[in-house]
Amino acid sequence: MQKYTQKVRNIGISAHIDSGKTTLTERILFFTKRIHTIHDVKGKDGVGATMDSMELEKERGITIASAATYCEWLEHEINIIDTPGHVDFTIEVERSLRVLDGAILVLCAVGGVQSQSITVDQQMRRYKIPFVAFVNKCDRSGANPFRITDQIKEKLGHNAVAMQMPIGLEVDFKGVVDLVTMKALYFDGDYGEFVRTEEIPDHLLVEAERRREELIDAASMFSDELTEAILEEQEISEDMIIAAVRKGTLAREMIPVFMGSAYKNKGIQPLLDAVVNLIPCPSDVQNEAIEIDNGERTVVLSSDPDAPLVALAFKLEDGQYGQLTYLRVYQGSLCKGDTIINVRNRKKIRVGRLARMHADQMEDIETIPAGYIGALFGIECSSGDTFVSRGINLSMTSMFVPEPVISLAITPKDNKSQLNMSKALGRFSKEDPTFKTYVDDETLETIIEGMGELHLEIYVERMHREYHAEVTTGKPRVAYREAITCRSEFNYIHKKQTGGAGQFGRVAGYMEPVANTDFVFENKVVGGRIPTQFIAACEKGFKSCMAKGPKMEFPITGIKVVLNDGASHAVDSSEMAFQAAARGAFLESYKKAKPVILEPIMKVAVETPTEFLGAAMGLLNQRRGIIVGSQEEGPQCVVEAKVPLAEMFGFSTVLRSATQGKAQFTMEFSNYKKLPQAIAENLQK
Amino acid sequence: MNVPFMAGLKERELTMLSDELILQNPLRILAQKNEDILPKGGFGAVLARAGVGKTALLVQLALNSLLRGKKILHISLNDPVNKVNLWYKEVFYHLTKPHDAKTSSELWESILPHRFIMTFKVDSFSVPKLEERLTDLKEQNIFSPDAVFIDGLPIDQSQKESLSNLKTFAKNQSLHTWFTIKTHRHEKPGPDDMPVQLQNIADLFDVAIQLEPEGKEIHLKVLMGESANSDHPKLLLDPRTMLIT
Repeated sequence: MQKYTQKVRNIGISAHIDSGKTTLTERILFFTKRIHTIHDVKGKDGVGATMDSMELEKERGITIASAATYCEWLEHEINIIDTPGHVDFTIEVERSLRVLDGAILVLCAVGGVQSQSITVDQQMRRYKIPFVAFVNKCDRSGANPFRITDQIKEKLGHNAVAMQMPIGLEVDFKGVVDLVTMKALYFDGDYGEFVRTEEIPDHLLVEAERRREELIDAASMFSDELTEAILEEQEISEDMIIAAVRKGTLAREMIPVFMGSAYKNKGIQPLLDAVVNLIPCPSDVQNEAIEIDNGERTVVLSSDPDAPLVALAFKLEDGQYGQLTYLRVYQGSLCKGDTIINVRNRKKIRVGRLARMHADQMEDIETIPAGYIGALFGIECSSGDTFVSRGINLSMTSMFVPEPVISLAITPKDNKSQLNMSKALGRFSKEDPTFKTYVDDETLETIIEGMGELHLEIYVERMHREYHAEVTTGKPRVAYREAITCRSEFNYIHKKQTGGAGQFGRVAGYMEPVANTDFVFENKVVGGRIPTQFIAACEKGFKSCMAKGPKMEFPITGIKVVLNDGASHAVDSSEMAFQAAARGAFLESYKKAKPVILEPIMKVAVETPTEFLGAAMGLLNQRRGIIVGSQEEGPQCVVEAKVPLAEMFGFSTVLRSATQGKAQFTMEFSNYKKLPQAIAENLQK
Repeated sequence: MNVPFMAGLKERELTMLSDELILQNPLRILAQKNEDILPKGGFGAVLARAGVGKTALLVQLALNSLLRGKKILHISLNDPVNKVNLWYKEVFYHLTKPHDAKTSSELWESILPHRFIMTFKVDSFSVPKLEERLTDLKEQNIFSPDAVFIDGLPIDQSQKESLSNLKTFAKNQSLHTWFTIKTHRHEKPGPDDMPVQLQNIADLFDVAIQLEPEGKEIHLKVLMGESANSDHPKLLLDPRTMLIT
């Protein structure tokens, strides 16, 4: 294993659903000789793509969990995280992005920049990840890579520059013109494994010259050397262009666009060259950690393999080898036999076996130096945990985790299933922070919560397949919330002095709505009217009411309680008494504060051929959706709408049947909004 | 305090704010006899050079209609839906800045369902297509606009025929229609001070407002319409907020 991080690339491949990410990864693995035959995602040979190792993934043709794998190209080591494309699994995408240094954004040459591409772009922006774009499916009818390049500029606001130009399109797609070397590249052999370099065909020469000029023009922004060469009309070397493009890409101020067709094995090798030439190596990227002892100050990590260790567990898997923890080492090295500390619970762990994963096969290694991704065996931890060497106390910044919006009750069919189910739930909630589970106190049902219908459906299926847990599911339930809409005062006395030990406490103050947080407590009691030792009990009393709203037993959100007066009794006041008083006060003033029910609103984007635009809008309209607008681009159009989650159950089936299966949609959580009165009343029944 | 009374109070608060915003709007000066600047089925044009503030003015006209309880369709041939939405948010934010934030955000929520944004590629846009979309929306009872705002349609004399078709359509549906028209620095205005783009098709338009930068200010000149020759106070566009002052 090499120790030179200059020769390492940690990349991700992100895209919209069905843009061909997994197919592309498969081809990359083939050309780097990691695999010897190509299996397609929905291939007839029934094997499925190598990266989609989970049985379910093969069956559905979608990638669920991102697998990490590595390969070599031009003496560089490339670690690839295959990220899932469906929006229900964005936490996986976000987590993978956290550990990447660069990415390939795959776009469909027909569909272009689709809704999910925009989400992925936003995520990459959040983690400042440089990327190159690959316009895939140039062999499909309606393909136009330059239209897609324009879309990257318009829709994503990036400075996209074409690095290549297609030779023929659609069925005539033969190869690409490299605008840096000004050569035509063709891909021969059964799998396109032989790259044939030729002169550019005459009819493309003029356009190629023009596009090369555009490229050099854009690149010259990042290199004085190149600008000088242009001004002095010297010969412009390939290295000069590549160096300038690399600089622009690293700064995220330029997005080089490559094109090809993964399915037809065209344009993959030049893309790999680009990964090596244009995507940063771990030492090019500055990583930061939080110093826990020092007021959460951020510190910059060095990529020195001899420094103390800092590593992040970004993914857990329960496979045939026991718990497998995927790690990225940011600083120092992780060696077999080392003792490391889990920062979250301060537990010491001895490093047993280290491995490098290749989807579902693995290879034992001795050490994982800084900048590398690897897997660790047999330790107990959650994803997102930081591991360090003894003596330092750093944590990688916590990752953004959205709240679940949908829940489902599950009941095991028999005792054996019950046992297996709890095993599975424990594993899933450790693996995926957006997946939560608890037991309802009243119905004693097990409830699972997640980011969407499909998200939960997949987990139920996995429970069945991997853990043999037969469960029946209830109807999906929307995570409603309660909130108050105006300020209301309270003045409540809790008194029980009828015999035995008495209880006495009086609390007074007001509650009011507050934005962007669940609960705020403010103590403005002066003169010891409530003794200091009981204030915490009051807060606890108020807080205990938040979990279940008095209106409809949904969790309450956005309440600020201000306590400004009260009374106590020298003998009868106790913590218990004040807690009870606070609860009484909460119930009293909550009713006066005009509580309402809030429901989650989803941002929905439906992509459909224009002939079904009317039908798609009709469907959204029926579902209490507010249509924000429609966007037409050639034969395709996108309708953007905000629709309550409660109305979106089963939408995919309805949409498919209304559009002959030609439309698809994505949705993500947007905000909480007041539930209309009529529907709230229905819900109450 | 009973609940219906409170609900009424909330509504009153919203109407008060929207009334206030309408009254504050200097565009009111342009509308003299009737409340609207344009007659039903009428065409209005906002002319300016690139980057002077056509879209900003168009969005203000649209927001003004929205506050008056009209339903509007915004058609953009340049920007994606999100960007158009951002324009509205931004202009609305500046308009309501002096007012209570909570009421403003409720007002925003209440006008949102009355707005529909459609974006097209310039070359894929045509009048028959627009008619088709509108009929679609109306038939399914999804949306039926009172006014249409078209941003970024390249307009010149060559489009007389399709514009006339649109005019007939607008008349039939009694739609108010506004356009933005890009002028160019190098083009000399025609004999009656009319920009070249409007020559020969001027008869289709009822109102034309030109934005002209003079020094640090942007002036609103009414070229056509009822208030063209009357002496109303000078209208300016604040280059900072792009609002009319």
